Amino acid sequence: MKMKIDEELCTDHGRCAHFAPNVFRLDDDRYNADRGGIVEISAGEEKNATMGLKSCPERAISIVEE
Amino acid sequence: MKDEPITLPLGEPPTKGQMIARFGRDLVTDFDLDDPGFNDKFDETLDFLVRKCPVVHSQVGRGYYLINTQDDVRRSAQDWQTFSSAKGYMPNRPEGMPYLMPEESDPPIHTEWRKVLNPHLSPKVSLSYEQPIRDDVNELIDRFINSGECEFIGEFGALLPGWAFFKNVLGLPIVDLAMLIEGVEEGTFSPDLGTRARHFGNVFAYLEKHLRWRSEQSERDDLIGTILKGVTYDNGEPAPWEHMVSILVDLTFGGIATTTFVMASAIHHLATHPDQRQLLIDNPAMIDNAIEEYARFFPPLVALGRTCTRNVEIAGTEIRAGEFVMLTYAAASRDPRHMEDPGKIDLTRTGIPHSTFGVGWHRCIGSNLARIELSTTIEEWLKRIPEFSVKPGTEPVYVTGYLRSMRKLELVW
Ligand code: HEM
Ligand code: SF4
Repeated sequence: MKMKIDEELCTDHGRCAHFAPNVFRLDDDRYNADRGGIVEISAGEEKNATMGLKSCPERAISIVEE
Repeated sequence: MKDEPITLPLGEPPTKGQMIARFGRDLVTDFDLDDPGFNDKFDETLDFLVRKCPVVHSQVGRGYYLINTQDDVRRSAQDWQTFSSAKGYMPNRPEGMPYLMPEESDPPIHTEWRKVLNPHLSPKVSLSYEQPIRDDVNELIDRFINSGECEFIGEFGALLPGWAFFKNVLGLPIVDLAMLIEGVEEGTFSPDLGTRARHFGNVFAYLEKHLRWRSEQSERDDLIGTILKGVTYDNGEPAPWEHMVSILVDLTFGGIATTTFVMASAIHHLATHPDQRQLLIDNPAMIDNAIEEYARFFPPLVALGRTCTRNVEIAGTEIRAGEFVMLTYAAASRDPRHMEDPGKIDLTRTGIPHSTFGVGWHRCIGSNLARIELSTTIEEWLKRIPEFSVKPGTEPVYVTGYLRSMRKLELVW
C-alpha cells in the first residue's frame, strides 16, 4: 500500500505521526516529513497508517491506487 | 448528558414551525450563538445544524453566517484567500479592540509569525513539559484529595492550563492568573459588549507590562524572547510593538480559555460513567484515544470567524464579499457523513476526524500542550481518585457563545 501526502494541505497537526510513528515522521517544522511525496507502507503498518490517514483533519493523506 | 444519539435524517430542510417548536427560534434565518437555548440544547442544536442546515444566518448585530458541515468547514478553513482572518474571529467584535496575531492575520504575516512561534510548542518541546505538568496535577489534587470533594473548575480545571502555560512556556509567575482568567471569561461571555472590551483591555495591559519589562532585560531565546525579536513583514518593515503584545495575548487566551472545558467534560463523563472509568483504569494506553474523542465531543471553540473576500456560494446559500462567516468546528466534528453515531461518546472510536483544534493554517498552535495537560490529568486523577461522582443534587453549569465553557462541577469521592 502507498499513501500520498499533499504538499499544500498538510498543516502540521501531527496526527499521522502520532498514530503511525513507524510510517509517518514529522520534520523539524512539525509537517509530515514526506509531504509532497509518497510513502510505502508495509503490510504490518497498514492499520496504523490508515488510522493516521483518517485522523488527519486536513485530509492531506490519501491512498495511491496502483 | 444524553447518551442516546439523535438520529435525524440528513438533508431534509426543517420548516420554520418545526424549528420554533423545538428550539424556540428559527435557526436558519435567526441563529444566535449567545441564545441561552443554544447553551441548554447544545448537542441537539449542533446535530440539527450539521444534518439539516449546512449554512444558517444570524441577525444579531451586524449579522453573520455559520457554516456547519465537515466538508464545507474544512474547505473554507483551508481557503484563506476567500475566508480571511484579518478582520477578526469574533462576530460583532467590540469597537476598537486590537487585532490578535497570529489568529487575526492572513499569510504572509501569519506565516512569518507561525514559523518562529511553532518551534516553542512543537510536540517535542511540549513533551519536555510533561513531567512538570504531571507534578502540578498532583500538587492540585493534594490540596483537596483528603476532603473527599472539590469544585473541579475552580480548584483544578481553570488552574492547570494556566499553570502549564505560564510556568513552562512563558516562564511567568502564576500569582495574577485569577485576574487573567476572569478577563478572558468576562471578555468573552459578558452580555454587555462594553464590559467585554474593558476586560480584554485589562488582559492586554497586564501582558504588555510584562513584555515591556522583558524587553528591558537581556535577550533570551524562549517564547517571549522570540516574540520580542519579532519578524519582518513583506513590506520590509519590522512587526510593530502592538502586534508583539497581541501575540502574547492570543497565546494566553488559547492557553487558558480552552483546555479547561475538555478536561472538565472528560472528568464529568468519567464521573457519570463508572464502566468507562474502569475501561481507562484497566487500559491506560487507551487514554490518548479517549482524549481525541473527548476533544471531538466537547469543543471549547464552537465556531471561529472569517470575513468573505468575494461572493461565494456554499451549500446553495450565497454569501457576499464583506460578510462575516463562522466556521462551526463544533458541528463539523459531529458530521454523520464522516463517522458513525457522532452523537455518541465512544472512547474506542479510532481515526477520529474532528476539527476541535481547527483546520487550515490557523489550526491550534497549542494542541500538543493541551493534549499533554489532558492526558496527565486523566492518568493521575484515575490513579489517585479512581472512584468519584457528581455531588448529589448538583449539576454542571455551562455557558456558551462562540466559546463553550463549564463554570461549575462539584465532585465527591
Ligand atoms: C483543548 C484545548 C484547545 C482547543 C480546543 C483549541 C482550539 C483552537 C482552534 C479551533 C483554533 C483555530 C482558530 C481558527 O481557526 O481561527 C486555535 C488556534 C489557536 N490556539 Fe488553540 N486550542 C486549545 C489550546 C490551546 C493552547 C493550550 C494554546 C497555547 C499554548 C493555544 C493557542 C492558540 C493560538 C495562539 C491559536 C491561533 C493560531 C493561528 O491563528 O495561527 N490553544 N485553537
Ligand atoms: S496529520 Fe495531516 S496535516 Fe498533520 S502532519 Fe500529518 S499529514 Fe500533515
